[in-house]
Amino acid sequence: MKVLYSWLCEYLNNPPDFDSLISNLTKIGFSVDDVKKIGVDAEGVITAKVLKKEKHPNADKLSLCEVSDGSNAYTVVCGAKNVDAGQVVPLALAGAKIGGGVLKKAKIRGVESNGMICSAQELGLEENSEGIMVLDPKTPLGLDIKKIYNPDYVFELEITPNLAYCLSHYSLARELSIFCGYDLKEIKIPDFTAGKDNFEIKIETDNCLRYCGIIIRNIKNTQTPDFISQRLKKIGVNPKNNILIDVSNYVMFEFGQPTHCFDLNNVERGIIVRNARAGEKIKALDSNEYELKEDVTVIADLKKPLAVAGVIGGYYSSINEKTSDILIEIANFKPSAVRKSSKYLNIKTDSSYRFERGVDFNLVEIVSKRMVEIIKSSNPDCLISFYGDVKRADKETKIIDIDADKINSILGTKISREEMTKVFKKIDESFDGIKFKVPSYRSDIESIWDLAEEVARYLGYEIIESKTDMKVMKSNTDPYLVLKNRFLQKISVFGFNEALNYDLVSEKDITNLGFDIKNSIKLANPLSKEFEFLRPSLLVSLLKNLRYNLNRGIKSLKICEFGTVFENRAGKPYENRRFAGIISGIKDEWEYWKEKEESMDYFYLKTVVNHLLSDFESLKINGKSEEKYMVEDVSSEVFLNGKKTGFFGMLNPEINKLFDVKADKIFYFDFDFDTLCSSYKTDFASMAKKPKSVSQFQYGIRDLSFIVDKKYAYRDIYESISKTKDLLDLRLIDVYEGERIEKGKKSFTFRFIFSSMEKTFTDEELNKKIEEVIKVLSDSFGAKLR
Amino acid sequence: MNVSEWLEELSKIEERFVSAVKENPDFDNIFESFLGKKGELTLLLRKLGEFSPDDKKLLGRKGNELKEKIVKFLEENKNKFGGFKKYSFDIDVTLPPKKLNLSCAHPLTVTLNRIIESFEKLGFSVEWGPLVEKDYYNFEALNFPPDHPARDMQDTFYTELKDEKDKNYLLRTHTSPVQIRSMLKYKPPMRIISPGKVFRSEAVDATHSFVFNQIEGFYVDKNVSMSDLKWTLESFIKDLFGQKADLKFSPSYFPFVEPGAQVEVSCVFCGGKDQNCRVCKGRGWLEMLGAGMIHPKVLENCGYDPNVFSGFAFGAGIERFTMLLFGIDDLRVLYENDLRILRQIY
Repeated sequence: MKVLYSWLCEYLNNPPDFDSLISNLTKIGFSVDDVKKIGVDAEGVITAKVLKKEKHPNADKLSLCEVSDGSNAYTVVCGAKNVDAGQVVPLALAGAKIGGGVLKKAKIRGVESNGMICSAQELGLEENSEGIMVLDPKTPLGLDIKKIYNPDYVFELEITPNLAYCLSHYSLARELSIFCGYDLKEIKIPDFTAGKDNFEIKIETDNCLRYCGIIIRNIKNTQTPDFISQRLKKIGVNPKNNILIDVSNYVMFEFGQPTHCFDLNNVERGIIVRNARAGEKIKALDSNEYELKEDVTVIADLKKPLAVAGVIGGYYSSINEKTSDILIEIANFKPSAVRKSSKYLNIKTDSSYRFERGVDFNLVEIVSKRMVEIIKSSNPDCLISFYGDVKRADKETKIIDIDADKINSILGTKISREEMTKVFKKIDESFDGIKFKVPSYRSDIESIWDLAEEVARYLGYEIIESKTDMKVMKSNTDPYLVLKNRFLQKISVFGFNEALNYDLVSEKDITNLGFDIKNSIKLANPLSKEFEFLRPSLLVSLLKNLRYNLNRGIKSLKICEFGTVFENRAGKPYENRRFAGIISGIKDEWEYWKEKEESMDYFYLKTVVNHLLSDFESLKINGKSEEKYMVEDVSSEVFLNGKKTGFFGMLNPEINKLFDVKADKIFYFDFDFDTLCSSYKTDFASMAKKPKSVSQFQYGIRDLSFIVDKKYAYRDIYESISKTKDLLDLRLIDVYEGERIEKGKKSFTFRFIFSSMEKTFTDEELNKKIEEVIKVLSDSFGAKLR
Repeated sequence: MNVSEWLEELSKIEERFVSAVKENPDFDNIFESFLGKKGELTLLLRKLGEFSPDDKKLLGRKGNELKEKIVKFLEENKNKFGGFKKYSFDIDVTLPPKKLNLSCAHPLTVTLNRIIESFEKLGFSVEWGPLVEKDYYNFEALNFPPDHPARDMQDTFYTELKDEKDKNYLLRTHTSPVQIRSMLKYKPPMRIISPGKVFRSEAVDATHSFVFNQIEGFYVDKNVSMSDLKWTLESFIKDLFGQKADLKFSPSYFPFVEPGAQVEVSCVFCGGKDQNCRVCKGRGWLEMLGAGMIHPKVLENCGYDPNVFSGFAFGAGIERFTMLLFGIDDLRVLYENDLRILRQIY
């Protein structure tokens, strides 16, 4: 809500200066934003009367004016069209400070001008204004303009739903008087008496708690008083310049009670507050026609709905320039009912905003008097011919027993009963020390917890000491975090960077990867098509990261992400946390003078995967990936305890095109991180690596090169010989296919490292071992030595 | 060469020996250059044949004294450390080293890890919750009744899936549903933090994102008070920003706490001294957390008697901490994943 400082101060006998107002507001739970200083931004501007206006001898569009400040007369050149003799205007004479500079005498088209007549914009009173500012003709002359337009402030006050009872200037002043020690002025508004028109008000729904109607006839002057339109303008409300409309806004920003004026000519003999009938329609003030449903509450006459209760008025019963007889509505509606209507019709108004948050049931009296007072002040001959106030039920006063110990135990304080009583007496004047009667405007106070907050607000949150006697508690180790950080540490060796992506992607992103869109979770209210679905795979995001960075000249791309993927499983959401990574380009970003550029390939990725997963003993890499977007021949799957836990390999190059990634080859890994976590032990005894003992004797090393048929896979050959007795390590040190050997064959060179805890092997012993290996290789694979 | 010339040469050799020992105590080299076949002393001793037997005897004794001295020195010092042999290579050591990319964790992860570490010291354990959540856990159980305007404080994404109450599953708008899930799952006392992604239907700009990260913390036990909350958050903030950091609590509103508080931290950049501070905009304080005592209705919704049990809860956006700690002033940078930026965070 926008608050006008001077308006607020009007209700206080000892108004605060602006800075202390702001700090007090913050102290009691409001946040202040967007402070604007308004009022005259000029020095030495005085009021003066235009005595004479003549055409400038040398310019068609300029006038020569003789102006008087009451004692002296000056000649001033003026360019405004609206300047005229007889007007009282703001006059800046030479020496005045205006528009950030000092005004000097100047010759304008050959005539000396002693100053200038100012516009509201030049004075800093308005953002845009046309022509010079014309003041009230009764304004005394020679007066500093600042005496008329005091410096003032407008600010945006953020009011949380619990403080909604402060959504007006008066109620905010009341809150300041209770919590910050300011003295609230008593508001005196004259009573009025009403005639006995034949008019009936009926409430037929529990959604309306109270309905007060006032009929005023014979209204002739609908001009909005200047002070009302000025104030509305300053708080950002456009005055309609018809008091019958503006008065509702003014009173709402004064007391927080939304009201509405109907043109009585369009109200058929009475008011019925009822639920709308299915199919019933209303043309609203915004000129749109709305179809209503039964849980929308309407204000109706005997024939038709006139307004949507608490939300918006109707078009046909609205005030127009011919209106002279009106019905004023001052009502109270159930917050949830107004919210339902507002949501259903998708109309939000200042009125619905306040009703949704709860309006004081007891505001009717003061507001009705104020409305009548304002209309009567410019229409002394108007006739108040009806006043009716119907309550669906009387509002019960809520009573809370004050338990000082409970309040102290909530806050952790030692506030005395007396001090608390002082606080509660401020809010409930009748407080007797035990029974606290909740004022009708404080619908937010429901229990002792709410009152504990009031005590803290009153005394300041500093009253709560920072101390504790919390018991010691053990912090459990979270496997997800431990493994995540372990993986990050391990993968950093390869120069990967962790990315964090949005979980929302487009339909195209999903179908491009070959996923069935039906298995994805769709948002009912997406921000845009680009972010309409929850991602079914981290690959979508990582491809975008790849594209983004490739397009910025990065040559070595290694990006990983921990994230959740989502699936629609028979109408229920399914979430799976995964760890995935993508690589493309060369091994090192930064060229090095000692090394050659080297592209990353499947085996580079396999090295990464192998390193990451080395903590899992029961983990096996096997088979080929079944994912549609992978190249089957250049991919593998990862199994943990026989369960498929991930895959890695080369992405189908079609994907590069579909996602517009200008990379040659892309490699990708994707693990089920939830499954990995579930079998990861975080106690240190399990994590600590246990080294095998090493021999005190020399290793025996033999290299063996042999040729086999291409059809045999390395893994089968390796497995057949890796069990050889006393073999400490078996390393593949060369693979060769080409001219130097027979077509359809390949050559492997293995390095065998034998070791014994008891001795150093002799040459004969080693030869014998190798003979055995050669036999196995030749029997099983037809291997021939090279 | 006469006797005195010979003796003079001998004493020069001795001088050279002494300085050789000082300058480059390479014993092999010393032996070779003085006593080797072409060693200086060897060659001088060979010249003794030119002298008379008497002179030979005298000079021989002097020469052998030095020889013995050298031998003795080498013997005695053979196993003592006397410095290193000098090697020389022709190499330009100003050539550059290899540049490595060892930055890895995303700045949000780094921040979160540090925050979690801080709370683990205070006995908080980590819990996780689903990102696609039921209306009940995200709103209703947290005292956001249906048709309550507090729901407007959080623009919500709804999915097309329906739960058993025929309400749309939604993307959680805060990490607070984990409070409900944990209270239903465990018995007090419980001291839990729950980090993770949350979603709000807001357009992306320098300070807003429809996906961001929060951390929730709460403690439920008997006799938990707002003092405990203040102490906990003060310990955390000082652990993260140093002892100089000050905290300020002021009233605020979240439906699931009562009393509610907003927690501000003294500006970590200007210490509240710079009127033109870019970070705090001259206010001196930075809004960092929301907090309060768990609302009695929330406790009741989880089957706890609010007259027996009480608890505090707090929540904060991780991005805010990351941006402050890493000096990043546009939230979007954190989700662009520009390697040129990420590679600098090490």
